Amino acid sequence: MQLASDTLEIDLSEALTRIKLFIEEYINNAGVDGIVLGLSGGIDSSVVAALCSLSIGGNRVLGLLLPERETYDPKDIDDAKFVAEKFGIQTQVCDITPTLKSLYATIPIFDSKDKICRGNIKARARMIYLYYYANKLNRIVCGSSDKSETMMGYFTKWGDAAADIAPIMDLYKTQVRKLATHLEFPDKLANKPATPALWPGQLAETELGVKYEILDLILYGLERFMTVEDIAHQLNVNLTLVKKVRNKWLSAEHKRRTPLTVKAGYRTVGLDFRLPRSGN
Amino acid sequence: MEKIRIALAQINSKRQNKKENLHKIEEFTKKARNQAADLIVFPELSLTGYVMRDQVYEQAETIPGPSSRTIESISRKNGIAIVFGMPELSKKAKATIFNTAVFVGTRGLIGKYRKMYLPTHSVFEEKRYFRPGNQTVTLNTALGNIGLCICYDLFFPEVCRLTRLKGAQLIVVISASPAVRKNYFEVLTTARALENTAFLAYVNMVGVEDGLQFWGGSRLIGPTGDLLAIAKYDQEDLVVCDLNYNDIRTAEPSIPTLRDLRPELFDELKRESEQF
Repeated sequence: MQLASDTLEIDLSEALTRIKLFIEEYINNAGVDGIVLGLSGGIDSSVVAALCSLSIGGNRVLGLLLPERETYDPKDIDDAKFVAEKFGIQTQVCDITPTLKSLYATIPIFDSKDKICRGNIKARARMIYLYYYANKLNRIVCGSSDKSETMMGYFTKWGDAAADIAPIMDLYKTQVRKLATHLEFPDKLANKPATPALWPGQLAETELGVKYEILDLILYGLERFMTVEDIAHQLNVNLTLVKKVRNKWLSAEHKRRTPLTVKAGYRTVGLDFRLPRSGN
Repeated sequence: MEKIRIALAQINSKRQNKKENLHKIEEFTKKARNQAADLIVFPELSLTGYVMRDQVYEQAETIPGPSSRTIESISRKNGIAIVFGMPELSKKAKATIFNTAVFVGTRGLIGKYRKMYLPTHSVFEEKRYFRPGNQTVTLNTALGNIGLCICYDLFFPEVCRLTRLKGAQLIVVISASPAVRKNYFEVLTTARALENTAFLAYVNMVGVEDGLQFWGGSRLIGPTGDLLAIAKYDQEDLVVCDLNYNDIRTAEPSIPTLRDLRPELFDELKRESEQF
C-alpha cells in the first residue's frame, strides 16, 4: 500500500451516482416527504444540500440556516444562500441566539468560560431545530458529517452528528472538496476552511493540529490496517502525529455507537440484537 | 439440447417480504416466458432480500417448503425453469440455515446448492447465520448440465472448476454483491468462464439494503470469456439471451485448460492448504 497525494482519488461520477441512489432509495422507502438539513455555509453541508437536491429535487429539501450572534458571519449566510439558490433548495432562517441565552441562563452550573461545553450546547440546539422541522413536516434529518471528522470524533455527540442519514460520511474531507468541484462549486467555497462554528475564529485544521491533506492520508492508512510506523514513514511525518491521530480515532468510538450497557439479557441492544434497519 | 434461452432477472427484492418477492418473481417469469426463455435466474437470497441479520430465523424455510412450492407452481404454469436464492432451514434442526440456490424445473424441484464459502469480513456476516454447504453441485437437466455457485464462491476457482469437472456446460452464479466489489466480480466472472471454457450466467441483486448498494450488472459470459449480454447497472432489468453449447466445442481446442489439467497439483494444493 503506497500513500501518495493521488491515493485518495476516487471516481467522482461513480461516487455521485452511489450517493444519489442512496438518498433517493432511502427517502422512497422511508415514506417521508423530504429532507431537512442544516445549511451552515460550510463545504460539507453545501455538498450534502446539493446531493439531496440532485437526488430528490430541491423542492423536497429544506435548508435551515441557524445563526447565532457569537459566531455570526454574513459570508456564511451568503454562501448558504448561494448553494440553496444554485440547487433550488428552500431555506428558512432561525436565529438561535435567544434559545442559547435561555439555556445558558437556566443551567445553574453554567460556565461561560468553558468554550467546549458552551459550544456543544450550540450544536445540540441546532439539532433540536432540525428535528422539530423534520417531525413537523414529515421529513428526515440529513447529516453532513464527513469521514475525517467522524473518524477523529471531531463532532458534538448528539449534536451535529445527529441525523437519520449521513450521505458523505464515507468520504474524507479532501474527497468532499473534490466532489464540490465536480458539482461546479466555486473554488472559494470548495476550499473554504472548515469550522464547526462553536465559537468565533474556530478552525478545524487548527484544532486537529494537522492539514486535511495529511490527516486524510493518515486516516486512510489506518482504515487499510497499515501500521503507524509505515504510515509515518511513507508520508514522511512525525510518528507522534500518526499515533496521536490513531488514538483520537480509537478513543472516539463511544461517540459513534449506541450507549453501552451491561450484558444482562439474552439479546442486548447495541451488543447482540443484530437487526436490519426498517424499510428496504 | 444445444441451444437454450436464458433470462437474467436482476431484481430489487423487498426485504423480509416473501409475498411481494414471490409476486415479483412471478411477474418477471411471465415476461421471460413471453420472450420464450427456457430458464430464468434470480439473485442470491432473492426470496427474502440479503440483509436479514437476526430476522433470518423468521425467514428461513425448508426445501421443499411453502415458497419453493410456490415457485414450482410458477415454473410449471409458465413452462420455464427457475433458479432463485433463499435461506434454507435444515429439516433436522430448528435454526440451522443454509444460503441456498434452488433449481426448479417445470416438473418440480430439480436440485439445490448450499453456498460453500460464506463471507464473514467487512460488511458481511454470513458465517454468523449460515452453515456452509459441503459439496459442489452440477445438475443434469433438460436444459443441459448446469453448475450452481453463489457470489463469494467465485473467489475460489475450485468451486466452478469442480462443477465443470462434473460436466457443467453452464455455470449459474447468483449474487448479492455490493457496489464497492463491482470490479472484483467483473474480473472474476470472466475468469471463471474462460478458465473453464464454460458459459457463466451471473445474476446480481439491485437496490439498497442497510447502506449496501447492490450494483446489478448481471451478465452472460461465453466459454472464451466474451461478454454475450449484460444488464443495466443499479436498476432492475430483465435480459434475455441465447447460448449455444456448441460454442464450447469450438472454445476447448484453443483454450485447452481441461486437457491440460494436472491432477497431481491438486494433491499438492490439498497438502499445502492444510499446512498453510
